[in-house]
Amino acid sequence: MQRIYVHPLPVRIWHMINAVGFVAMILTGTQIRYVGLFDLMSFRTAVTWHNWIGFVLIGNYFIWLLFYLFTDKIRVYHPELSPTKHFQASFRQLQYYGYGIFKGSPNPHQVSAYDKFNPMQSMMYQVVMFLLVPLLAVTGILLWDVQGFYGAVDFFGGVRVVDAVHVLIYIFFVFFIFFHVYMGSLGHTVTAHYKAMFVTGYEEVEGEPDRGGATKP
Amino acid sequence: MARSRRVNTITIGTFYTHLVKAVFAALLALLPATLMAAAAPADRLSDGDKTCLGCHGSDALKKELPGGKVLSLHVQGDGFAQSVHGVLGCAACHADVDLKTHPQNPKTIASSREYSIAMTKVCSGCHAEALKHNETSVHAKLLASGKPSAPVCTDCHSSHAVTPKTAYDTCVGCHLAAMEAHQKWLPNAGLHLEVVSCAACHAPAAQRMVDLRLYDGAAKKWVSEKEGKPEFENMARAADTDGNGLNAMELRKLMGQINRDEAAQPKNLRGRIELRTGVEAHRLSGKSEAIKDCTICHRQGAEPFQNVSVSLVSADGKPLRYKAQKEVLSSALSVDSLREFYAVGGTRSVFLDILLLLALLAGVSVPIGHQILKIIVKKQLAREAQQDAAAKAKGQDRP
Repeated sequence: MQRIYVHPLPVRIWHMINAVGFVAMILTGTQIRYVGLFDLMSFRTAVTWHNWIGFVLIGNYFIWLLFYLFTDKIRVYHPELSPTKHFQASFRQLQYYGYGIFKGSPNPHQVSAYDKFNPMQSMMYQVVMFLLVPLLAVTGILLWDVQGFYGAVDFFGGVRVVDAVHVLIYIFFVFFIFFHVYMGSLGHTVTAHYKAMFVTGYEEVEGEPDRGGATKP
Repeated sequence: MARSRRVNTITIGTFYTHLVKAVFAALLALLPATLMAAAAPADRLSDGDKTCLGCHGSDALKKELPGGKVLSLHVQGDGFAQSVHGVLGCAACHADVDLKTHPQNPKTIASSREYSIAMTKVCSGCHAEALKHNETSVHAKLLASGKPSAPVCTDCHSSHAVTPKTAYDTCVGCHLAAMEAHQKWLPNAGLHLEVVSCAACHAPAAQRMVDLRLYDGAAKKWVSEKEGKPEFENMARAADTDGNGLNAMELRKLMGQINRDEAAQPKNLRGRIELRTGVEAHRLSGKSEAIKDCTICHRQGAEPFQNVSVSLVSADGKPLRYKAQKEVLSSALSVDSLREFYAVGGTRSVFLDILLLLALLAGVSVPIGHQILKIIVKKQLAREAQQDAAAKAKGQDRP
């Protein structure tokens, strides 16, 4: 078993803040939208917390962005430009999670410091980090001060369109939180990926690492 | 045949004579209209009112009060003529003035304030219900306690230029620090003060409604109906095919009709939380009793969203309202027709609620489904392993 350093400290800090922040945003957002259905806190408290945490998460996004923009680790987000290769690899990955993993087959994706995402993760994280999170932040800022950003809100089609986009992405993240946490438990032990992402930064993989990154035997 | 041709035939000279006469007649016909258009609103008043304004129209008309104070007796004729009381005339409120003795025997007025208070009795002659609501209001309590700044009817509605005003414009006339006071505790205070009538929170016992009012974004003002061309109600009635209030589709149709001129900047509906009846706005409570609970509006089925109307301002400044169904506020079809009104939690779309439920189910189902799949595959693998082992054992048993 090799230990490969794939989650540098800035990424782990960003991820920790994001994890707590997104759960808090989903809870406060749900409270704002569904007053009466459940009452975790008052509407005003939920709005205040939602606004503050939202701004913290926007700042946090820039930790992630600046880290990847100014280090060579950006390679982990490089897309696979050949659709055939991408879909073949995705299909292999899907077969692994649907069958191979139960049989004890090796993961078709070998983690390394510059290639830490399997093809399905890679595609999903590109959509999440370059499209959904920025859209969520922009629509959130517009809704935070509809009067002040009247022109921009109107440009995007009115407050209902802006709200619908914000809520649709929130709905996606409600699903994603469950999915993401569960997928994190599918390492070689249930807690292996959690330990790597939140504490050590080292992923444990079978055999020799194929390229790059600090390793520990 | 030849005779009739002679009748229908005109010479060039006769043609020009007719043309000049026609133009002259047209100009003559247009003259009164032109003169009317240029006339001052005060000219529309009755002869009796004009007689009153003969003296009271002057800036210089003043009355000395005891204590050396001076009361202006000037009435702005145009302002009065354009007011909602213009059609009633001076005598409707000043019936006590006897023209046989006026102005020779002037009234005794102790002070301007005393006179305003006394005149509330006159207001109650027509506005008894409003005055009844006012009796328990914070303004009436202040007046009873003798506070000199306690407002009476004319302080909010003015004495002669009585026009329907937005509550906010009226209230901030005295409550100058209203915005700062709300900013201390109310998120988006500016937006709330723009779209929520003051009385909607400060008359907590009153019933509220949503007024979807037509706004001209290009001109930055509420849309008013053109004088003499009352189109709005007819258009709304035509759109409301089943006559039970506008539904989301009918509202779209109405907005399409209002914005049929594609070259013009489109007009939009802006939602305002108002009181169902204006008289209820007089039930103003003290600050401590005002609504501070956000969920009065920001929850599904909230009371203000049970009554909805679409409106614009009539030529004389009053709101012209047409009923809409409450479902228009949460319909997915209203994305464009209500692009400027949305209250978080209160007007949320059912379609998005269903999507959220599906996302939640999918989020829980993926781990459960994957674990079930794990059990099935493992059982299958164990069965295959058993069969392999049995087959091997069978093979070994053979000689």
